[in-house]
Amino acid sequence: MIRNALGHVISCKDASRLVSRREDAPLSAWQRLVLRLHLAVCTGCARVERQIRFLRSAMQKYRQ
Amino acid sequence: MIPFIVAPPATGMDARSTTRASHGDDWIIIRVASALSRPMPNADYSRDLDLHRGYLMRVARLQLRDEAQAEDVVQETLLAALSGSGFSGQSSLRTWLTGILKHKIVDAIRRKQREPTVASAFGDIDSEMDIEEFDAMFNPRGAWAAKPADWGDPEAALNQRQFLDMMDLCLEKLPPNTARVFMMREVMELETDEICKELAINANNLWVILYRARMALRLCLEQNWFSGKGTPA
Repeated sequence: MIRNALGHVISCKDASRLVSRREDAPLSAWQRLVLRLHLAVCTGCARVERQIRFLRSAMQKYRQ
Repeated sequence: MIPFIVAPPATGMDARSTTRASHGDDWIIIRVASALSRPMPNADYSRDLDLHRGYLMRVARLQLRDEAQAEDVVQETLLAALSGSGFSGQSSLRTWLTGILKHKIVDAIRRKQREPTVASAFGDIDSEMDIEEFDAMFNPRGAWAAKPADWGDPEAALNQRQFLDMMDLCLEKLPPNTARVFMMREVMELETDEICKELAINANNLWVILYRARMALRLCLEQNWFSGKGTPA
């Protein structure tokens, strides 16, 4: 239950923004922490995280 | 005076280049110059370059959203590639051409910025940024309105031609300025501060634009490619 509460310090909306921003700029230690806690308990955001990383490799492929 | 521009023999070019004449006289000048200039570039090399024209046009079109301008920068890129001796064979020809195209596009965007009419067109980014339906992705508490689907093993799609075509379609569906910024970042591989400088926007705006681009692409691919490929959400 504590894990769940910690995971929701930030919302999915915030988490998805951080996942995207991480591709463009380093996150602060606090941002990294709350994101990690959120991803640990949220399947939806964990999927989006993987998909955003996939988008980057897809664009690499697109460039070749 | 006839500018010294080396162009490929007419037979090496596709039909699109011939239509270039309708945009102005410079192509004709290039043709004449090509007939007069020596030495002619290696015919195989011109043909190799031409194979990449379609790709370069796609990138330029997405970036500039202007057919004539896109043709101009691609033409300039191919001419630069033909007249220069920069290709060392250490990178792929396409990577090298994309590098040249990147500079041509940045130049074109700089020129655009100086034209007041077009510069204000980039101001539309604000209207692209408050699309209400975008926020419909989340409920008022900030949780996913519809849970993102499992895409299974998406990397497998990367080897399929149709998947890259779908990427093209999804990129074309992005609002124009959003697509332009995303292409600068992911295809031209510009650093974020370079993009901010070029477009005179702040880093926060840039992150929001890139975020929206990624989320829109994610959704487009999910709906058109990955639905039914993974386990349902």
